[in-house]
Amino acid sequence: MSIQTVEVKAKVPSPSTNFWQTYRQSKLGIAGLVLLLVITVIAIFAPVLSPYDPKSSAGVGAGQVYNPPSAAHWLGTDDAGRDVFSNFMYGARVSLLVGFFASFISVGIGGTIGIVAGYYGGRVENILMRFTDTMLVIPDLPLIVVIVALTKPSLLNIIFVIGIFGWTTTARMVRSQTLAVKSRKFVLRARAIGAGRRHIIRHHILPLVMPILVVQAVLVVSVAVLNESTLSFLGLGDPTALSWGQMLNYAFARGAMSTGAWWALVAPGIGIIWVVLGLTLVGQGLEHVLNPRLDTHHLMPGRPVVVNHEASGESENPTEKNPLLEVRNLSINYINEGKPPARAVENISFTLKEGELIGLVGESGCGKTTLMLALLRLLPSAGQIVNGQVIFSGKDLTALNEQEINAVRWKDISIVFQGAMNALNPVRTVGDQIAEAIIKHMPGFPRDQRLQERVIELLDLVGIAADHKEHYPHQYSGGMRQRAMIAMALACNPQIIIADEPTTALDVMIQAQILELLDSLRKKLGLAIIFVTHDLGVVAEICDKVLVMYGGVTAEYADVDIIYNESRHPYTQELLKAFPDLTKPKKKLSSIPGYPPRLDALPIGCRFAPRCRLAFARCHTEQPLLQKLNDSQSAVHIASCHLLEVSK
Amino acid sequence: MSKDHFLEVRGLKKYFDADRPSFFSREARHVHAVDGVDFQLRHSEVIALVGESGCGKSTLALLLMGLEEPTEGYISFEGRDITHLNDNERKGLRRKIQMIFQDPYESLNPTQTIEEIINEPLVVHGIGNNKIERDERVKKAMEDSGLKPAEVYLQRFPHELSGGQRQRVVIAAALVLEPEILLADEPVSMLDVSIRAEIINLLAELRITRQIAVIFITHDLGSVGFFADRVAVMYLGRIVEIGTMLEVLEKTQHPYTKALISVIPVPNPRLRHERIILQGETPNPIDLPSGCRFHPRCPLAIATCKVSDPPFITLSKTHQAACLLLVK
Amino acid sequence: MGVRPPAQWSKSLNRWLYIRNKAGRSFFTILFVVVLNFFLFRVLPGDPARQGIRDPRLTQEAIEAIRVRFGLDKPVINCIQTVNPLRFGSCEVNPLETQFFIYVKNLTRGELGISFYYNRPVSDILGERLWNTVLLIGGGQILSIIVGVVFGVMAAWKARTSVDYGALITGLVAWSLPTFWLGIILLFWGSSHGFPIGGKATPGMSSYPFMTQFTDVLWHLVLPTLTYTIVFMGEYMLIMRSSLLDVLSEDYILTAKAKGLSTFQILKDHALKNGMLPLVTIIAINLGFTVGGVIQIESVFSWPGLGGALFEAVSRRDFPILQGGFLLIAISVILANFIADLLYSYLDPRVQIE
Repeated sequence: MSIQTVEVKAKVPSPSTNFWQTYRQSKLGIAGLVLLLVITVIAIFAPVLSPYDPKSSAGVGAGQVYNPPSAAHWLGTDDAGRDVFSNFMYGARVSLLVGFFASFISVGIGGTIGIVAGYYGGRVENILMRFTDTMLVIPDLPLIVVIVALTKPSLLNIIFVIGIFGWTTTARMVRSQTLAVKSRKFVLRARAIGAGRRHIIRHHILPLVMPILVVQAVLVVSVAVLNESTLSFLGLGDPTALSWGQMLNYAFARGAMSTGAWWALVAPGIGIIWVVLGLTLVGQGLEHVLNPRLDTHHLMPGRPVVVNHEASGESENPTEKNPLLEVRNLSINYINEGKPPARAVENISFTLKEGELIGLVGESGCGKTTLMLALLRLLPSAGQIVNGQVIFSGKDLTALNEQEINAVRWKDISIVFQGAMNALNPVRTVGDQIAEAIIKHMPGFPRDQRLQERVIELLDLVGIAADHKEHYPHQYSGGMRQRAMIAMALACNPQIIIADEPTTALDVMIQAQILELLDSLRKKLGLAIIFVTHDLGVVAEICDKVLVMYGGVTAEYADVDIIYNESRHPYTQELLKAFPDLTKPKKKLSSIPGYPPRLDALPIGCRFAPRCRLAFARCHTEQPLLQKLNDSQSAVHIASCHLLEVSK
Repeated sequence: MSKDHFLEVRGLKKYFDADRPSFFSREARHVHAVDGVDFQLRHSEVIALVGESGCGKSTLALLLMGLEEPTEGYISFEGRDITHLNDNERKGLRRKIQMIFQDPYESLNPTQTIEEIINEPLVVHGIGNNKIERDERVKKAMEDSGLKPAEVYLQRFPHELSGGQRQRVVIAAALVLEPEILLADEPVSMLDVSIRAEIINLLAELRITRQIAVIFITHDLGSVGFFADRVAVMYLGRIVEIGTMLEVLEKTQHPYTKALISVIPVPNPRLRHERIILQGETPNPIDLPSGCRFHPRCPLAIATCKVSDPPFITLSKTHQAACLLLVK
Repeated sequence: MGVRPPAQWSKSLNRWLYIRNKAGRSFFTILFVVVLNFFLFRVLPGDPARQGIRDPRLTQEAIEAIRVRFGLDKPVINCIQTVNPLRFGSCEVNPLETQFFIYVKNLTRGELGISFYYNRPVSDILGERLWNTVLLIGGGQILSIIVGVVFGVMAAWKARTSVDYGALITGLVAWSLPTFWLGIILLFWGSSHGFPIGGKATPGMSSYPFMTQFTDVLWHLVLPTLTYTIVFMGEYMLIMRSSLLDVLSEDYILTAKAKGLSTFQILKDHALKNGMLPLVTIIAINLGFTVGGVIQIESVFSWPGLGGALFEAVSRRDFPILQGGFLLIAISVILANFIADLLYSYLDPRVQIE
């Protein structure tokens, strides 16, 4: 009832083909495996390896009691003059025996209860889980002590009692994993195919629950080993089986303390730690395979900006007069240990004027979110700005230190993230999270009623009633959360808002509401907005300018009308054709064959070449440069394609 | 009903318990997920079920698949009542009606290879006398789904494929049973725009080459506009307008349909137009609005909308809508 | 399966319902423990009441008193005269005169029987000792949580640095230590460094002024509390570390960073509370385990608490103490668990009934 693991998340492991390869990466896991192997060998071959037979008292004299370590007795002798080292080796047998068999019983009971409760649900689950919860709360060691005290303290009894009371955590974990697996769509799909319960449990539930069961089993063994040694130490062990706990019991009760015989106390303790630590470390290694954690989190220090202006070359960006934000030749790499850096974003330039709305369009994985995060220097720790500048009101944001950039964040430029469910803190009220930004960036703002009024005013601006201020994000619907995110972004009257896929995953009507809201705010407050999306249709509705990205580079950049009516880059053209157009119904959609490139495997030449219908030899060998096109009335039209160079 | 209505749904309802009746509150409240739906489907016809989330369209799909038991109503397939079936009969029917799901990342078991996934329906139904026969069928289903050549994919795992490829695997696993109806629940909404077109084209092709009828469930009328024969627009558990694609798009009658059509993004800034943006969100299906369910959000609502539930008005042989403004 | 109403529709499932539900469960569990406690001591081979009567230490009058008190001449429960061996008797006996009813009746009066060893009421003996255990657990728990949280946060924040690895390995080793063994080693070390070798107070202290007595007790508490802290700190540290690592990769941390908050502000205002949630759950679940640790610590340090009482009762075959002690421990753990649930519902606004 007492195993301590962090609830294993219901993530699904990748297939076991490369189990060992992944396990090997965990140094702790390897160390644990070595510890366990050594102690197992010692336990199995104890009769061969041990210098003395602990059962025979031949040659033990009165002068042999508590002798310190010597050449004859490596770990000294105990209260009866026997060799501690030999006792230690035999003790391993009892510990491992009890541990493994008790764990077998516990995991068997717990696993069955968990799977049955999780899969069948309803009344069965209710009864089983009530029982499990009840057993979980009852303290197990006192119960085991009482039962063993009342029954005969034989090894078999101890194994059974420890096993029978050690299943509750396993049952809970297995049940929650079963529930998680059961709720996944592939189980529903299996039912839709016509598969019966037994087929589903065998082919879909068990393979995904098994890993949890294995980790649990390993941890339950360690708890059983600890419980056995405690029982033995309390004098409730099997008197015929010499375990480490018993060695300690004898030594502690029979004067090892007063005679200073530390060896009789230390050796058995080391044995217990050895086994338990070994098991725990193996558990860590298994966790590493089954539940791989990201190597990074958001508070890890970022990489320093590398600015190499010599390599940046001439900026292709036409100089607009006093832009609010100017991005010049920005390039971002992801650094992977031992691999060449992934060139996630390369040589992107654009400008943003006051009150302007620019659309940043590209498929998932094209680097658009990376680019946005880089503007505010929010890249994950593997990401590094390797070239370029971000000029905002005369300052280069890439050159600021952490404190200076913190002053720009949210105050001047704020972000609305995709999927507002996770972008709001679930345990703080929405109003509180909005107020936080004001307190941070407007030190002079009074923290009294006026702050609350300002929060209400902001919520009102995005169409949320004041009484929702005190609510938590989970009480909001998806559309409302996105509105709350926008209200938060407006809190400090920023000049620029970056909206990163704010409407993805929302229904069309809610999507239209959010778009209308952003558009009206822009007009009302004179905001400049960078709107990131994969949906060209959305962009056409509200944007002034569009930057189409493909595989981390600019495909085409122009006024919105040019992009839709006079686009020059094959990718833009294909993307438009793939878009369903209700003004021309019954027209077959054309699709772009293939898939966008992976950042760690970029083509040598043009990144779009493998999917391009118009590609020719040069496209596969040479990356096209950005071309300034002067063929239109647009202020700026840039595209990167070899075809355009030819026509020039 | 005419014989070519090989799938027919009448008065279908599904209520879920909102609160279970307990010791403290005797009265149970219900989520009216599907609340009286009628429609028919012809051979190799494509019908689009359109509505916002919470309109009951996904529950309707589960009811048609027999993955949920209807509270009330009647479903027939090829003239046979299939509303309530035992496990064996249901299993037989599954060969005829198959389903593909919204999220291709979630609907494939990550521990199975592509071959195991596509072969599984054959094993479950005991189809094919030997491995060669089954392999043949698996291969055909894969190539019909655009996984060519099949050998490249057989031994891979789902996580090694892209979103579009995974959705093709899901389609292949449905096709391998050679179904007559394919229920597609938001099959493209999780995919990138450039990939969407491929999947929709694939479905359009299948209905021609394999004569499969498709029920296409989506929140985005724009994505099916060009290939559905008929459209049924759902709101709060009911169909509010149904008709042929052209009727619904060009002779739109119901204010809700009008709004839905107006917000479809048009990929051309020169065609920017006034959009009818409904305020608020779909009300919860526990406490339904009185009268017409749409009246709280309807821009054209009149006084009577609050009290009387509109009947279905027949506008043409194929076109019907439920709105009091149409009552003359 | 199927559609579940989203959270905002079911505001009626509020905190009050949650508390009521949890209270109901705790009550149910206590009932279960009461019944279990009765049958455990009547069904298992070492039937204590009968063994107690045979205890040579008791006088004839005392035996008679036990007989009447436990109703040993009465059937165990209705229709079953005696359970060992199972023999069905007549059903004519009034249920109110069965041993079980007498047991429950005695319990409601707070009567847990008479200790064989001390010849005093069990409730008196355990009552004194309960507070000693609370003192030990209370101090140890607070210290281990503080140390665990602080180092767990440090490790997660400085992930993949030597701070992190150091904390991780310390935590893993600490969790692998057998509690009683650590106690022995600390005692071994402490006894040669001027620490008391056990008990709660130096003998003959009762004549000294209060402050001297108080510091003497504190001095005796040092090693037991240290043992407790080391053993449980490791686990709390590991949980805090991994839960905070999860929290720190959440999107709302990126939002907080984008808001321009400093690292310290993010940790304090956005990460800590969220990261503590799994810890609170684990602390609640582990209360039973905690008691296991306390039995070991109290027996090593001869600390006069409940766990020590249980340990002594085992070696002295003093079954009334064993039975009463187990009941008291179990009920305390159940109540503490209930309190932890309440705390959780206060910390996490999302709590709902399963």
